[in-house]
Amino acid sequence: MRTLTMTGLARMTGLASVAALSLMAAPAALAETGVTADTIVIGGMGGLTGPSAGLIIPQLNGVQAVFEEVNAAGGVHGRKIVYAKQDDECLPSRGVGAVKKLIHEEKPFMIVGGGCSNAAIAQKPEVIEAKIPWVIVASTADSLTEPVNPYVFTTMSAAWMEVYGQLQLALDQGKTRIAVVWQPDAWGKARLEPMKQAFKAKGIEPVSIQEIAVEPTDTTPTVLQIQATKPDAVLLLLFPKAAVPFLRDAYKVGLQPLMVGGSPLGEIDVLAKGVGSPDSVKNLRAVTAAGYGVDDPQVAKWKGIVEKRFGDRFNVLHMYGISAGQFAVEALKQAGPEPTREKILQIMSNLTVKTDTYAGPLECKPTDHQCHKALGIFAFQDGRVTGIGVTRPTR
Amino acid sequence: MLLAYALSSGITSGALYALVAVGLVLCYRTTGHINFSHGELFMIGGFLAFTLHVMWGLPYIVALLGAVAGSFVLGVLTDRVVYQPLIKAPPIAMVMATVGLSFVLKGIGRHFWGGQGEVVPFPPLVSPAPVLIGGVAVFPQQLVVVASVVVCMLLLTLFFTRTRAGKMMQATAENAHAAYLVGIRVERVYMLTWGVGAALAGVAAVFVAPLTLLTPDIGLSLLLKAFAATILGGLGSMTGAVIGGLLVGILEALAGTYIASSIQDVSAFIIILAVLVFRPTGLLGARARREV
Repeated sequence: MRTLTMTGLARMTGLASVAALSLMAAPAALAETGVTADTIVIGGMGGLTGPSAGLIIPQLNGVQAVFEEVNAAGGVHGRKIVYAKQDDECLPSRGVGAVKKLIHEEKPFMIVGGGCSNAAIAQKPEVIEAKIPWVIVASTADSLTEPVNPYVFTTMSAAWMEVYGQLQLALDQGKTRIAVVWQPDAWGKARLEPMKQAFKAKGIEPVSIQEIAVEPTDTTPTVLQIQATKPDAVLLLLFPKAAVPFLRDAYKVGLQPLMVGGSPLGEIDVLAKGVGSPDSVKNLRAVTAAGYGVDDPQVAKWKGIVEKRFGDRFNVLHMYGISAGQFAVEALKQAGPEPTREKILQIMSNLTVKTDTYAGPLECKPTDHQCHKALGIFAFQDGRVTGIGVTRPTR
Repeated sequence: MLLAYALSSGITSGALYALVAVGLVLCYRTTGHINFSHGELFMIGGFLAFTLHVMWGLPYIVALLGAVAGSFVLGVLTDRVVYQPLIKAPPIAMVMATVGLSFVLKGIGRHFWGGQGEVVPFPPLVSPAPVLIGGVAVFPQQLVVVASVVVCMLLLTLFFTRTRAGKMMQATAENAHAAYLVGIRVERVYMLTWGVGAALAGVAAVFVAPLTLLTPDIGLSLLLKAFAATILGGLGSMTGAVIGGLLVGILEALAGTYIASSIQDVSAFIIILAVLVFRPTGLLGARARREV
């Protein structure tokens, strides 16, 4: 058995002291995962490939554009943001593996990502278990933020908010015979139930609820069935792939009541081009998460940055990412030069941020992590998408 | 009036399916293989036309010719890269190869034309305002698709009956071994077949894209509808593909109008199942012969 001599003991004591002093001298932030003296890693996940890539890539490009602008201005408290992304193909089956890889390989300080509800729902337990602050960019399922979880925040409007806003807009215009058209996928189902609840809450019944395929080639039969019910408003729970054929066929048979869509139909100019005629969208309104049209001067700066940096056509999807990115950056700024996850969570739980792309401020409370409250209302007027109001839906 | 609308809607959708199905059948009858990447060839053809016409501002006719030429080259490449190396492999290898190619082409589509939003509008060739025919409103672009089916069929008939290349393709389709023995360079015929099949997808894309919009993922849904048309019409029959396409379109519209809108989209697949069970050769397909 070896015994410690006095010299050895003194040497070990000295080394231990040096080590302890070194640890004391190092910034506390260095002990935080994803944070170094000059960088801070933020993770992001979404469908970078697969059928939803066209929706998700612009969102994450919007986030990245914000981070790159911040980095160009010197970073947050001198640290450059490294945005590490993982592809989850918007599939729950891929989502869990992607977020695990993100958490364990990239070791992010926090996460700003998630654009598809199904994948995000599957990823939520992994993020919570890892105790990482997560700012959801565009997943809208109510279950992501209800009930409140200390680690999960969203800067996107919830599914229920848009449908309540859509119905309220129709009612505010004196419409009473209201029909609903929806697409039979997870996104559509997540809106149909809240829509039925919204009707119930208002004490009225829809005159017709019709389903059309996610990618239909012709919707004339559905249009005719709706027309037969003589609606004075039609609420569209559709993405553009379904909405364009519907609007086209409605225009063809002369079905032109007030139509109200949600966030996916915010680019009314694109819909008009898809149909081929601006007349087809003259009665269309969109209640959307984004606060501005893509050509509005308020977002001109970001349009220039995104189109130059990524070669994308600037659209509302970028706006979701930009607001999420700005929300995260503001939280990091407020966390000071030595950020910790605990500090960030506390800050985000009481954070109010007016971003560049939403109509109203993002407002989080400890009891409410659904931070997006104000939805923009848009119409196609004088050849461009024009904001005609703001709504703050309540249940 | 409801029936008239359902029929007109069905005919115009059916013409769209027929246009895609004709290219599918052309490849099958000559090579004996279903090209599962045909929908993606359609997509690439559409985006080529979009690039030429919308992004570069070239005239529609130039976009049409460019899309057809580009698709033809892509078809020839498919033959060189996928079909020829697997010509003696089991049929399942070819199925997997064309399915794999469809994913590759989809990836190419997303790489070059992604980031444009969910859908890419393609302007119609003719006036977007609907016209009344017998009291039924129809879009002129839908009439263009119907007309393009007729023109394509006429041109293909002329090609197969009046040209040397067409006759060689016919002979190879009938009996590749016999064609080889009489001096036809069968490999070249296959190459031409893949090229012409892809070019037909390009033609279809230019006429149909204004109605369907463009996305990198448009191929699969159109392929499935076109496949339903070829199964119904009889796999291997060009006329059958057209009749099958029209019937699929009409049955879809009738189901959507008189049963439920939710059944409209799945009716094509119900048709596939029913035909495979009750008449596997389709309406105009040759009855299978069993060697004893």
